[in-house]
Amino acid sequence: MSGKDRIEIFPSRMAQTIMKARLKGAQTGRNLLKKKSDALTLRFRQILKKIIETKMLMGEVMREAAFSLAEAKFTAGDFSTTVIQNVNKAQVKIRAKKDNVAGVTLPVFEHYHEGTDSYELTGLARGGEQLAKLKRNYAKAVELLVELASLQSLFPGLNVLLLISSQSWMRESEKSSIG
Amino acid sequence: MLEGAELYFNVDHGYLEGLVRGCKASLLTQQDYINLVQCETLEDLKIHLQTTDYGNFLANQTNPLTVSKIDTEMRKRLCGEFEYFRNHSLEPLSTFLTYMTCSYMIDNVIPLMNGALQKKSVKEILGKCHPLGRFTEMEAVNIAETPSDLFNAILIETPLAPFFQDCMSENALNELNIELLRNKLYKSYLEAFYKFCKNHGDVTAEVMCPILEFEADRRAFIITLNSFGTELSKEDRETLYPTFGKLYPEGLRLLAQAEDFDQMKNVADHYGVYKPLFEAVGGSGGKTLEDVFYEREVQMNVLAFNRQFHYGVFYAYVKLKEQEIRNIAWIAECISQRHRTKINSYIPIL
Repeated sequence: MSGKDRIEIFPSRMAQTIMKARLKGAQTGRNLLKKKSDALTLRFRQILKKIIETKMLMGEVMREAAFSLAEAKFTAGDFSTTVIQNVNKAQVKIRAKKDNVAGVTLPVFEHYHEGTDSYELTGLARGGEQLAKLKRNYAKAVELLVELASLQSLFPGLNVLLLISSQSWMRESEKSSIG
Repeated sequence: MLEGAELYFNVDHGYLEGLVRGCKASLLTQQDYINLVQCETLEDLKIHLQTTDYGNFLANQTNPLTVSKIDTEMRKRLCGEFEYFRNHSLEPLSTFLTYMTCSYMIDNVIPLMNGALQKKSVKEILGKCHPLGRFTEMEAVNIAETPSDLFNAILIETPLAPFFQDCMSENALNELNIELLRNKLYKSYLEAFYKFCKNHGDVTAEVMCPILEFEADRRAFIITLNSFGTELSKEDRETLYPTFGKLYPEGLRLLAQAEDFDQMKNVADHYGVYKPLFEAVGGSGGKTLEDVFYEREVQMNVLAFNRQFHYGVFYAYVKLKEQEIRNIAWIAECISQRHRTKINSYIPIL
């Protein structure tokens, strides 16, 4: 029983009731903090698992996309100049949204399509089928990248929150074990 | 005039025909392809290519060896051979060879025009141009301000001028979608080439006209297939079909109405040559229509060498060599990406 943790109180029955109420409040606060820390840990584990899965998938998808580029080049010849020259507006864009986890808001990225495909007629005379397949593969790769970016940006934010809430919970549990 | 060919052809063109047949003999055989497919790295590929007629063409390349370097070097080699033929040729072979280069010129002019109109630097585009399609006015393209300027000042000097006149009429060049322009130019080019071969008569017409007819029909089929689901209207599509070939005119009219692959297949079923080709699509090995057409083109080109005293051997040789370059580049890509499942999907030539 260290000196600074003692509360100076006048021993009366009212003071006891008040103290009991304060104890109850402190205990509820501590439980809520524990719940919050548990929810954050759960979310953290889920995100970690998802990141690993997405990264594995990313390797496969990128490989597939690079191969479909080789296939398209085999049939259609070299269309790189045409593509680079006709670049204007982006067709796939990203929005940042807020996601609520146990009372904490975290950013999440979402992709959306806008505008038409300006390369619709490329490869009209040769290689159109392979080019369509190529576009699909790379679109899939881009979507996966957006998801991965979103998850990875959650990761450090959640990490910090988890640390803070677990620290406060530890402090509370210390106090309650002593008092 | 049929006797004329055997009697007079060798006077003007005998040397070049002999040369091109010698070059054809150095195309890679099936055994060479089998060796290439078994390579593990691009360095192995280079060593195997040294034993073929390619020799040490990659000797001056610094590490690391990439697929695009191999591709550029092979193309340079083909260009060198072609320039030799062109420089030593007499009329009318030189006109024939110029016609052959027109298709590459069209492929070069389109990005040049696009770049000039968007005020972008023309230098990088020049670097990416196909070497066979070079023409002297290429560097002057960036001087022009507007498309009609470009046409009147520069393009009018090139062999492409009549093709532009066909598809321009009253429309200004910049209103036309660049892909539509490319395809329209190619259509008038094919028609002009076909007329030239037909007028020349003789064995050249007998060999080249079927090849060009197949090219026209193939374009019609592929354009139709690729325009399903795009904003290209049926009337626009019809203007892109070349007006000769087996499909002209009834088949083309039917094709213009087609809405999906099966309707296209029905049109092809009317023609004895195309029915088996369409039936080979899909099947085992997942062949696409384009693969099947490439194979048929290679077959026709190889058959061109069975006859003598005509210009078709030059056309056939260049096309076969190009296919070989594509095959080697494909094998090299599969090796460098370590994706060997489809490495045997090259088109075998001999």
